[in-house]
Amino acid sequence: MTAIDVQRLSKRFGPTVAVDDLSFSVDPGRIVGFLGPNGAGKTTTLRMLLGLIAPNTGTATVEGKPYAELDDPVRTVGAVLDGGMLHPGRSGRNHLRSLARGAGVSDARAAELLELVALTGAADRRAGGYSLGMRQRLGLAAALLGDPRVLVLDEPANGLDPQGIRWLRDFLRALAAEGRAVLVSSHVLAEVGQTADEVVVITHGRSVAQAPLDELTARAGGGTRVAGPDAARLGELLRADGAEVAQDADGALLVRDRTGEQIGRLVAAEGVVISELGPVGSSLEEIFFELTGSSEGPS
Amino acid sequence: MSHAIAAELFKLRTTRTTWAISLGILALVAVISVVAALAGDYDADDESPAVDLLAIGELSQVFGLVLGILVVATEFRHGTITPSLLVVPDRVRLVLAKLAVGLIGGFLLGLIVSLVCAALVLPLLGTRDVATGVDAGDVARIVAGNAVATALFAGIGVGLGALLRNQVAAIVGALGYLFVVEPLLGIIPGFSDVISRWFPSGAADATGGGGAFNPNGLDQVPGGLLLAAYTGLFVVAGLLLVRRKDVSA
Repeated sequence: MTAIDVQRLSKRFGPTVAVDDLSFSVDPGRIVGFLGPNGAGKTTTLRMLLGLIAPNTGTATVEGKPYAELDDPVRTVGAVLDGGMLHPGRSGRNHLRSLARGAGVSDARAAELLELVALTGAADRRAGGYSLGMRQRLGLAAALLGDPRVLVLDEPANGLDPQGIRWLRDFLRALAAEGRAVLVSSHVLAEVGQTADEVVVITHGRSVAQAPLDELTARAGGGTRVAGPDAARLGELLRADGAEVAQDADGALLVRDRTGEQIGRLVAAEGVVISELGPVGSSLEEIFFELTGSSEGPS
Repeated sequence: MSHAIAAELFKLRTTRTTWAISLGILALVAVISVVAALAGDYDADDESPAVDLLAIGELSQVFGLVLGILVVATEFRHGTITPSLLVVPDRVRLVLAKLAVGLIGGFLLGLIVSLVCAALVLPLLGTRDVATGVDAGDVARIVAGNAVATALFAGIGVGLGALLRNQVAAIVGALGYLFVVEPLLGIIPGFSDVISRWFPSGAADATGGGGAFNPNGLDQVPGGLLLAAYTGLFVVAGLLLVRRKDVSA
């Protein structure tokens, strides 16, 4: 069964359309990056998925049911949402325990998770003094209370140091390897690029792409680069065959509409000499900007 | 449901505010009780001076109201409503768990405050050889009445918190109503009798059972039923609103 299924979801806040006819899905065992510039509607979408915001139209379900109708939500979905969401006067341990009690999870499990996210040392301090990274880690511990099959994370890398981001990446991979579905949002493509199996890109509340990352890379502005002593001759042969070929200043070719294998066969058949043949894609950032039409500068 | 109530009880007892409010009202009532019992002038023809003094315990009602507001509004203030709703997605269930905890907390607060008040007032009057004019049954009725009234006021607070969701607005609004709006309405000729009989504060006085400040009020049981009806009204209104509101922070 599909772990997460979003179908034709829309949400307006007054005159503003936050999410517009959005559809995508996440299968078990997959990490899906949910990408878009700030304000694209990612958080609204995730909150609709979690039953916190009511959609105007469309559905968002987890394992086939709306969140509010899940029999055992905490053991089905774990979520880390953006923001503090802590009572500043309550200790991290007590925050986690209050949620554990509501879910019927033991204090021992809460302590185990504090250890997992390396918060044991700070667990008995008032949460008001926690850094953003500590809040994120506490949020992750809360999401894992019920050992859920589906994880939803909104900008989980915010506030984490590079070490923490790397830890998170490995951790998410391990969770997906266990067959869990992971939906992780980010406005920083590079962050997700190294973790996600596929990405959903949205801008202005609309989906502009859902595809495996490498497919997306190839689709957007990529091609096959060929270089070598006979590159110019090969270029003529390819053009004669109807291929779209560009040549850069060094004489290397960029072939758009032939696969590497097709070019290789031509090379063999014609006996031309080349020294280099391989796929190239635009950088992830370029694709991201191209897809989202985002030119508003760094986000 | 029992998990949700356990979680709410745990939340209530793991914040300092709860203890500050409880200890604050306890200290306030203790001081006023001692001063009033020691310094008050009692005429020989005052039949039951202790009833007046036991009404000091009724101060817990307003604190119960604030406590009830905090049980809901604090979650919205700090955004902890989000993780709370992820664990208990059924909003009606969450608010009802909060109502249960508000009622329990308010009851205990009213009970302890009134017990402390009685434990100070009665022996102190005794040392002054003032006839208290109450028997054990009267004291039990007043203590239990105040516990119920404080619990129901806390329940009103839970409903109000759900209705407004803004902590400051809810507290300022509730206190402003009790201490400014009702007294102002009382200026209208003939209206103060209506207020003291039918409005929430009058109903709470009646439930408290002292009747000392409110000779015009209902009897204790009808007063309690009226106050419970107010609690139900606020809770239902709060539930209807919370059920359809988007939670975006």
